Formats: sequence, C-alpha cells, structure tokens
Amino acid sequence: MSAIPNTQVRTTQVGTEDRWERAVPVFAFPVVTPTFLVLLVLTLIALLLTGYRELAGLGPVSGMNDAFGWGIWKTFNVMVLTALGSGAFAVGIAAWVFRRKKLHALMRMALLTSFLAYACGLLLLGIDAGRPWNFYWIVFPWKWNMHSPLAEVAICMSIYAMIPLAVENLPPVLERLWYFDSRLRPGVEKIEKRLHSVFPYVIALAYLLPGMHQSSLGALMLLAGERVHPLWQTPFLPLLYVWAACFMSFGCVAGTTMLCCLVWKRAMDMDVLDEAARITFWLIYGWAALRILDIAFREQIGTAFHFDRFAAVFWVEMLMIVGGGVLLQRSVLTHDKGKMYLGYILSSIGGMVYRFSPTTLAFAPNPQALYFPATIEILVSLGFIALGVAGFLVAVKRFAILPGPLYLWHDMASYFRFRRPYIRWTGYFKYGFFGEDEEHQ
Amino acid sequence: MAITRRELITTIAKTGATGAVAVAVGAQPLHAEVESVRVPSAAVGLLYDATICIGCKACVAGCAEANGEVPDTRGDGLHQAPTDLNDLTRNIIKLYKPTDGSPSSFVKRQCMHCLDPACAAGCPFQALHKDPESGIVYWTADKCIGCRYCTITCPFHVPRFQWVGYNPRVTKCELCSQRLEKGLKPGCTSVCPTGAVIFGPRTVLLMEAKRRIKDNPGRYYKNKVYGETDNGGTQSLYLARVPFDDLGLPELGPESVPEKTLRWQRRFYQYFALPAVLYAGLVQVIRTSLKGHEAELHEHEKQSGLRAQV
Repeated sequence: MSAIPNTQVRTTQVGTEDRWERAVPVFAFPVVTPTFLVLLVLTLIALLLTGYRELAGLGPVSGMNDAFGWGIWKTFNVMVLTALGSGAFAVGIAAWVFRRKKLHALMRMALLTSFLAYACGLLLLGIDAGRPWNFYWIVFPWKWNMHSPLAEVAICMSIYAMIPLAVENLPPVLERLWYFDSRLRPGVEKIEKRLHSVFPYVIALAYLLPGMHQSSLGALMLLAGERVHPLWQTPFLPLLYVWAACFMSFGCVAGTTMLCCLVWKRAMDMDVLDEAARITFWLIYGWAALRILDIAFREQIGTAFHFDRFAAVFWVEMLMIVGGGVLLQRSVLTHDKGKMYLGYILSSIGGMVYRFSPTTLAFAPNPQALYFPATIEILVSLGFIALGVAGFLVAVKRFAILPGPLYLWHDMASYFRFRRPYIRWTGYFKYGFFGEDEEHQ
Repeated sequence: MAITRRELITTIAKTGATGAVAVAVGAQPLHAEVESVRVPSAAVGLLYDATICIGCKACVAGCAEANGEVPDTRGDGLHQAPTDLNDLTRNIIKLYKPTDGSPSSFVKRQCMHCLDPACAAGCPFQALHKDPESGIVYWTADKCIGCRYCTITCPFHVPRFQWVGYNPRVTKCELCSQRLEKGLKPGCTSVCPTGAVIFGPRTVLLMEAKRRIKDNPGRYYKNKVYGETDNGGTQSLYLARVPFDDLGLPELGPESVPEKTLRWQRRFYQYFALPAVLYAGLVQVIRTSLKGHEAELHEHEKQSGLRAQV
C-alpha cells in the first residue's frame, strides 16, 4: 500500500482482496453536492404543497375521484416503494433464517433502504389520510378491526418501521459514536450489549411483521372483488404480493449496492452478488410459475390474449420480470456485472408494475372511470422519494453502510489522519493503519 | 453453514404442532360464523319497487332536507340535480334506458345496509360499523382516518368521500337514524308520492315483496327480491322489471364479499395464534444463527484487528 493513500480508487487489485469484509463510509466525498441540493429543493416543494393539501383537502391537489379513491400516494409510494424496501425482510430472512452467510455483507444496505422506504411511505400515508388526527386510535388495540387488511397494514407498518427497523439500524449509528470520541465508548458498549440481548426478538419481529403487512397489502384488493381484472384478482394475491416484494427488494438492495460501487468506484464482490442474483432468479421463476398456474387454474388464461390494455400490462409485467430473471441467471454463469444490473432493474420495474396494477392499471370501478395523478400529487410523491434518496446519501457518507474490501477501511483511516488531523473523528485510528491506539498516545 | 436439515425439521415440527392446535382451536368459531350471516334482531330497511317509481326525485330532495344537507346545485348552479351519489347526496334516482327500446326503469341508489358489510370489514378502526340491533351501518367521524378504503371495498359503490376541505366526511345513507329516534320515517320514504320506497322491519318488507311477486306474476325480473340473499343479504330490498345488473346492482351470489375474499385472512389472524407461533419459531432459529454469527465476527475481529460490525 502507498504511504499516503488519499483516494479510494484501486483498480489494480483483484481476487480475494476485493472481498466485501467490512462496511465502510463513503469518505472523501462531500455530502452537499448539486444532486443533494436538488433533492432537498424537491423535498421542500413537497412539504409546502403538503401544507396546502392539509388546508384545501384532497380534491384540489390530486386526480383522485369517487371511482378511484386511491391515488399514487397510496398505490405507488406505499404499495410499490415499500415492496422495494422489503430488503430487511427478504435479504434478512435469507441471511438469518436460511443462513446464506455471504448476504450479511448486504444487510446494512438492506436495513437502510427499508427504513427509508418505510419512513417516507408512512409519512405520505399520513398525508394521504383525509382525517389523520384520528390515527391516535392506533394505540388502543381493542379499537382495531383485527380482520381488516388495511388496519393490519397501517398498524403493522407503523410498528415495524418504528421499532424493529429502527432498532436494527442502530448498530451503524452506535459504531459512529464509538469511533467519534473515546469518552463515549463505555456507554456505547453498554448500549450495544443490551441491544444484542434483545436482538433475536427484534429480528424475529422484523420478519413476522413485514410478512404480515406485505401480504395484507395484497389482501387489500381482495375486497374490491370483480372490479380488479381477473388476471390480477386471485385468492393468491397476498402470497404473490409478498413474493414479489422479495425479489423486488433483492433487486433494490443488490442493484443499489452495485450502482453505489459504480458511482463511488468501489470493488464489487462477485461472490456476494452472485449469491444474491441466484436467490433472486429462483424467486422470480417460482413467482412466475405460481402466477401462471393460478391464472390457468382459474381458467382466465384466455383474457391474457384479448387485445386490451389489461393484456398489454400483463405481458409487459411478465416479460420484464421473467426477462430480468433470465438475465440474472445468465449473469451468474458469466459474472457479467452489466447483465446482472440490467436483470435487477428489469425485474424490479416489472415487479413495481405488478404491485401497482391491481389498484390502478387493472382496477376498473366502471368503464368510464379515469384516474391520472395531478401535478401537485406527482410533485409531492416525488418530493418524498427525494427525501428518502437524500437520507440515503447522507447515511452512506456518514455511517458505515456500504460494504467494501478491508483495505478501504485502512484507506479511510489514513485519509482522515492526513486530511483532518484536527478532528477527534480520527478515532477510526483505533486498531488503525499504523496499529497504534489513540487512547494510549 | 446453511441451516441444517435436522434443525429445520425439528423447528418445523415444534412450531407446526402448536400451529395445528392453534388452527384447530381457531377454526371452530370461524365455521359457525361462515355458515349463515346473522340478521340483526331488529333489522330495519327499505323496500324499493322500481316498477312503481315515477322518477320524481322527491326522495332526493327529501333526503338532503332530512339530513340537513345543502342542496347539491353544483351541476348548473340552480337545480338540485346531482348526477351520482356524492359528498352531499346520500340518495339518488337514476334512469336506465336501453337504446334498443326494451323496458326502461328508474332505480333508487342508497346504502344497502348489508348484513355483512364489506365497508365495515375493511374499515381499520371501526368508523363504519353495523349496529347490532337495528343493523344500520353507521359512520363515526371520531374514528374515521379518511383512508377511503370503504369507497373501494363497497360492492355497490355507495360511501363517498368529501374531496374538498380540511375536515372531510364520508357520506352514506344512515337510514335517517336521527328521525327514527323521534319516531319518524326516513326522509325518502316519507315524501315518496307513490309508495315506491317504503320503510319497515326487514322481515315485514321481505314478506311484502314476496306478496307483490305472488300477486303480479310476470311483472318482476326472475320473480326475485334483490337483497334477500345477495351479498349475504341486505337490508335495502329491491324489486324491478329489468335485470338488476343493469341497474347497478351486481350479481354477487349468496356469499358476502368479506366472507368470500377474507376467509383465509381471517383464519390466519384468528386470535393471533398462528402469527404468535410463527414468531416463536423465528426467535428460536435466529438465536442459533446469531450465536454462530457472533462467533464468526469475533474470529474476524481477531484476524483483522478491526472492531466487529454487527
């Protein structure tokens, strides 16, 4: 290694050196960039428009009407984006329950994306509700309608995002504190110890709750009956929904990690990525088989060949998802990063369309009914996505989230020693590059 | 090391046995519930006979007046002529007139007060609930979060959301309960000049409908009272000359929508037994994983000299 490595670009190293062994913050990149400012402006616009929405009501700001009671705030930001943000559920189950150990490298990314997707989704759910002040009933369990899929979704999602997801996202924060100042270490270690003792219970809750509410999101549309096109309306909708969330979130976690590695020039660990891709394409094939079999058994396969918008949406969905799966399978054989990335993108977007369809594209309350989101509606929706992305950018630059090779950690330690010798954050030196201990200097 | 087969089998066996017990316990009361929808002891309702209705719309104005609603003149700014149910209109008369010259018919649309209402089944905090005695489906402002799920679930597309304003309401017919308390009849029935819509206990209305069918053979479509069994039975009953489907009353079958669609959902969450069992199993598996993972991290910590990351 060079004596003063002040950049993390290492293109020459290959092989075992590139194994993802440690989550490392994206150092040497400023947090405030033009992109970040654009995202903040979008968020600010959304917040202002939200204020207007609270005063004016839903009608003036959205394209929702009596026939389409739900607009993109619920159907896209909540139903679709929380599916993308189910990484903590899907990757977590693969890593912790089925013990795919390589996937532990992706866990922090999964937890972060989940937390942001859920938090932004929940915020928008509160804004979308017409009478949000009545949400306080959520603290009285005997007032819940236990058999309502929507109660299940609202209650489970709030609890999930506020307790298990938040707790699971604590370790990177505590770690940052630990390195920040040596005086904080005993306290942090005490908290960490306590955290570890409750971890099994919290993690188990973090798999049970999303399994419940992601399937209940599918059950929501069961009650709509025949107004949902038969290609989508099936008793298996809950299962298909949660299954789609699994492969979509694998795509989201692995795809985002690949993109980050590309943008911030990190080495990619093909062992981990291959493992994730292998699981994803099997999930996709299983899902597609279940869906086709279900349609065939309900004898609705003929409707897929009608010349209408429903059939078109159906084929777009299926081709994107299965096409993505095929690309992923090929990429595992050849270790082709481009193909793998494209596979993730295709299958995730296909999955997004699938999760969006039953509520909007394949929902026909009556033949004349139309819904198209209004400009304000789109801006608010975009603003809350921007908030999530901005939060992500801050988090990966300030906390150890993104996986990287071991040498990157040492690079970072050196970087901070020579670039910022005056800040105590050089605590990264404990067991650092030169092996000295800050406490005993 | 992936999960071992032995461990997988023992965990499944452990959780499965308790799960089976839970399902067996949970399934018992569920079956009783499924068999027939309970009719409230003092169920009241409306009987609308489309063959008598002259389409005068007195009930539309009468309904708004009885509920203290502003007349909905948003159409032309002058006449109370709403085109559909909306946030000011709980009751409306529509005309079905086919272009091929076959019989036309008026239809009065308002809440059907289903015996097993889908709106109440979906409502997260029981803002819409069915009165156990009168069977009227009420909306409670204090519990409604404004999610608009009722507008999606109702198979008759009755509840309407108020789109404008910071304090929106959900509007639907509540059978003029404030008038019933005073011993008056609902607004629509008290103003109807021909008696096309009448109010009474559901059993009496059902008998009356059947009497009319018997007295006038061939007058009514399929000699059927819509609402007797449709969607598990409703408290608003309909007689008509033309197919009910054309009047916006879909053929839903004798099973109610919630019963048909939420059977598995309900079974799964009965007493919260199955999720609890699943949770116990997950904790067990994750505990073992966590132990292995921590040991590995410790090893890694020693090797790399860097603090372990959980």
